Amino acid sequence: MAVPVSTLPRRRQPRLSPLLAAFVLVPFAIESVWVFWPALQGFWFSFTRWDGMTPPRFVGVDNYTELAGDPTFRGALLNTVIWLLLFGGLSVAGGFGMALLLQRDRRGVGFYRAALFTPVVFSLVVTALVWRVFYQPDGLADTILRGVGLEHLIRPWLADPDTALYAVILPALWRQIGYVMVLYLAGLKAIDPALHEAARVDGASAWQRLWKVTVPQLKGVNAVVLSVIVIDSLRSFDIVWSLTRGGPYHSSELLSTYMYSTAFQGLRLGYASAIAVVIFLLALAVILGYLVRAFREEENA
Amino acid sequence: MSDFDPGRRRFLGHLGLLGAGALGAGSLLSACASSAGGSSDKASGAITLQSNLSSPQAKTAMEKLVADFNKLGKGTTTLNTVASETFRTQLPTYLTSANPPDVYTWYAGSVANDYASKNLLLDVSDVWKGLADYPQSLRTLSTDAAGKQVFVPMNNYWWGFFYRKSNFAKWGVQEPKTWTEFLALCQTLQGKGIPPIGIGLGDTPWVASAWFDYLNIRVNGAPFHRELLAGKQRFDDPKVKAVFTKWAEALPYFDPKGKAYPFQEATTALLAGKTGMFLIGTFFADAAPKDALGDLDFFRFPIIDPAVPVAEEAPTDGFFASAKTANPAGTKALLTYLASAEAQEAYIQSSSGIVLPANPKAKAADSPLVVKGKAMLDSAKELTQFFNRDSSDALQPTADTALTKFIDKPDQIDAILREWQTSAEKVFKG
Repeated sequence: MAVPVSTLPRRRQPRLSPLLAAFVLVPFAIESVWVFWPALQGFWFSFTRWDGMTPPRFVGVDNYTELAGDPTFRGALLNTVIWLLLFGGLSVAGGFGMALLLQRDRRGVGFYRAALFTPVVFSLVVTALVWRVFYQPDGLADTILRGVGLEHLIRPWLADPDTALYAVILPALWRQIGYVMVLYLAGLKAIDPALHEAARVDGASAWQRLWKVTVPQLKGVNAVVLSVIVIDSLRSFDIVWSLTRGGPYHSSELLSTYMYSTAFQGLRLGYASAIAVVIFLLALAVILGYLVRAFREEENA
Repeated sequence: MSDFDPGRRRFLGHLGLLGAGALGAGSLLSACASSAGGSSDKASGAITLQSNLSSPQAKTAMEKLVADFNKLGKGTTTLNTVASETFRTQLPTYLTSANPPDVYTWYAGSVANDYASKNLLLDVSDVWKGLADYPQSLRTLSTDAAGKQVFVPMNNYWWGFFYRKSNFAKWGVQEPKTWTEFLALCQTLQGKGIPPIGIGLGDTPWVASAWFDYLNIRVNGAPFHRELLAGKQRFDDPKVKAVFTKWAEALPYFDPKGKAYPFQEATTALLAGKTGMFLIGTFFADAAPKDALGDLDFFRFPIIDPAVPVAEEAPTDGFFASAKTANPAGTKALLTYLASAEAQEAYIQSSSGIVLPANPKAKAADSPLVVKGKAMLDSAKELTQFFNRDSSDALQPTADTALTKFIDKPDQIDAILREWQTSAEKVFKG
């Protein structure tokens, strides 16, 4: 049965206010020039051979086949995965632990929070300078080891291929834990104390309350923390570059440092763009994977 | 090409935005091009001199030169000093931009020739017509493959084993002449509990290339060395392996801490008597306190095979100009001035550097060290530049990787040389 047209409520044409349009279009235009267009160009460059001076030459998938057989790239990929797991895992564990310890207002808690957050304020290059002094031969690290009778462990921390990567992860963690802690502190503050109250009344132990009340309530914060960590891991460039430059002989090379040195030291911009595409896909895969899962859970709930 | 440079951060800021930003890195080069422009929009306009001489004394010296030139009334020059690492990464961008700076400080040799082959450099043969008294070696060095001059040399310096005279006297040792004497000296010093050979590879791994260059020109000679760096010989050649066999003989005498700190700290270690000697270029003295300078001496890299003509590393610094300059006459006037004896003497007086002027009429500083250095270079049959200057900045990282790995794991030399050849081929291929 046809409904008479006149009885339908008149649909208002959704008119876009000029102000709203400006808010959307101006940033979009700027982003297009400074982000989207260069990004698209990056995809194109990854199919070329280009030294930055002569015009790029199309070479098809040559760069990608070379990547597949490049041991330095494989090493950098492996190091990036190690970095993602160690740096990501430990900063979540450390940041969450610190947030739990420091969430309740006690005397002096502000001091500890500030102390843990201070490294975030430093530029990573300053952080690198401080840690370089710490690691240098006969520096603080060596002096401490000597003091506790472990001088047989002393080595050139940043120049030894077995320790360089881990010696760089440590300062990065030192910084990231404070950051993650603040995110979790905010998340913990947002949990309704009544939930804990109710759980306690029901006889839940502290451990059960942590896992059954606190952790599920932090789902929103977790998504933020995960994105921040994945992005920070993949772009961890400055700290590595200022401490080791990916050396000695590529042992602390990450995809980001390898991309930089290929592009700006080796002047192989096509090949470096191919590495950039891989980094992009990697970041996209991890973050999309999490978001898809999170949305699905939301729908099921 | 060395110093830690916070200026790079600005650049990296762009890399920060990972996903998309990373992809954009390549096009940054072209994006930055527009900002590199000089002020030379009119044929009579001011000339921009883009300088990487950013250490305080060198910068002051350049400022004085530019001020003196402007007083001559042959044109107006503005000096634009850029941190040297930024300069190095940006140089291709400067040269390819639409409105580039006119004159640049840079290196002679294949680095300059490479840009010349892409038609990016101004033909300065006119300037060279006035430089008839310059030695032939410098003229050859400044000439590109097409036979035109593209470079104007300012000065050069030398490399050698530097040591403190007072320490050598205290330890009762003499300068060695041959490789055998050198190894004996190392053994003596080690017997006294002093790490004989200082080195600084942390952050400045390119310092190791001096060892490779010198051993190669002592064992195989300078012509082979140049061909190797030009991609006409292979790094996995048995002749190259022979270089590392010699190096392995000296390896036990290297200061083990040298892997971890940069050459500036290796300099401090040498001056404090914590290492015996240090193969380095004269620029290291910039980091030395003034009172130590008088106590410094050096000896030439020991002779290994007397049948090989003696070559020395003498990196030549100077200037080239952009082919796109809007004011070629003014640019050439500036280059002519910079090549003159008075400009080069003024530079040497204002800067701290232990350097030798390129103009044969200009007087070098008359310290015993400089006199000895000049005599060494004058007596050399051939001069080489340095690894990156005889090849390209792009090949340098492949050497850094191979050489630091060799110092750590000398027994893997065959694999290291194979890897080096593979990565060098990629660089030559582009």
